[in-house]
Amino acid sequence: MKILEFKLFSPISPNVVSTLIIVAVLAVVFTIAGLKIKKLNPAETPKGFLFLCVLLVDFFTNFLKDYISGKRLDFFGPYLFTLILFLSVANTSALFGLTPPLANIGVAMSFSVITFFMIKIAELKFQGVKNKLLGFLGPVKPLAPLMIPINLIGEVSTPFSMGLRLFVNLMSGVVMTAMVFAIVGFVGSILAGVILHAMFDIFFGLIQAFVFFMLSTVNLSMASES
Amino acid sequence: MFGQMIHSVTRFANEYNQFFASGMAYLGAGIAVIAGLGPGIGQGFAAGKAAEAVGRQPEAQGKILVTTLVTQAVAETTGLYALLVALLLIGK
Repeated sequence: MKILEFKLFSPISPNVVSTLIIVAVLAVVFTIAGLKIKKLNPAETPKGFLFLCVLLVDFFTNFLKDYISGKRLDFFGPYLFTLILFLSVANTSALFGLTPPLANIGVAMSFSVITFFMIKIAELKFQGVKNKLLGFLGPVKPLAPLMIPINLIGEVSTPFSMGLRLFVNLMSGVVMTAMVFAIVGFVGSILAGVILHAMFDIFFGLIQAFVFFMLSTVNLSMASES
Repeated sequence: MFGQMIHSVTRFANEYNQFFASGMAYLGAGIAVIAGLGPGIGQGFAAGKAAEAVGRQPEAQGKILVTTLVTQAVAETTGLYALLVALLLIGK
């Protein structure tokens, strides 16, 4: 088993293929929802699929209001909502026979990079460069040479650990499922699959998606506080 | 005499090197997963405090649940690093 193997030019890994499939499916669903929302009559109550969309957006907006508010919610809300929709579909995609995309360190680290840039954008937009640079020095000015390296490491380690957490959780699920399936054989794996997929894909996958969403929210609200 | 001894030691090391290395890698993987003790204690502590908080304020259950999940996921990180190290050692 090679976990950290990486080549610049190689055939696409199954994780990336399933990522692309999920992105395509979600893009189609979102486009349809957007086109339907545009034609919606605001006086009527929406029905069916649109009702579900409105309910979901409303739920998450209300949920996010406790953590970030006002102008910042308008700025970060769409990003955070997209994040949790993609992650919850991606982490449960093993139920449809796809390889979970986050079980590849490349995909998980790309989430780290996205989080890193979002935190930087939040800091630059809502704190300003000067406050940010002064923050590196720490509260006690004579101790600044000691604090600067620690603060610089802290800038990178938060998104890195978030991506790595996602990766190891999903990968441990894949590895354990493969181990059990290898032991119990074909007939046993049909029975064991019910429990394993319910636990690792639905329960852990959704919890990890929610945790990533929550940590992004908390980090962004901390970064954008002036 | 001394040269002969060196020669035999090097041959011994060469012959046993790969098995020795893979065996030690498995041993290291086992030792690495001992780190699971820490997150276990930490998550249990967080869960216990959350249960206490729900007992004291049942109306705040939703917020307590969210906070508990997030803090437990943060506490879990060290254990996950240990698991990653163990899997890397096994896959060697």
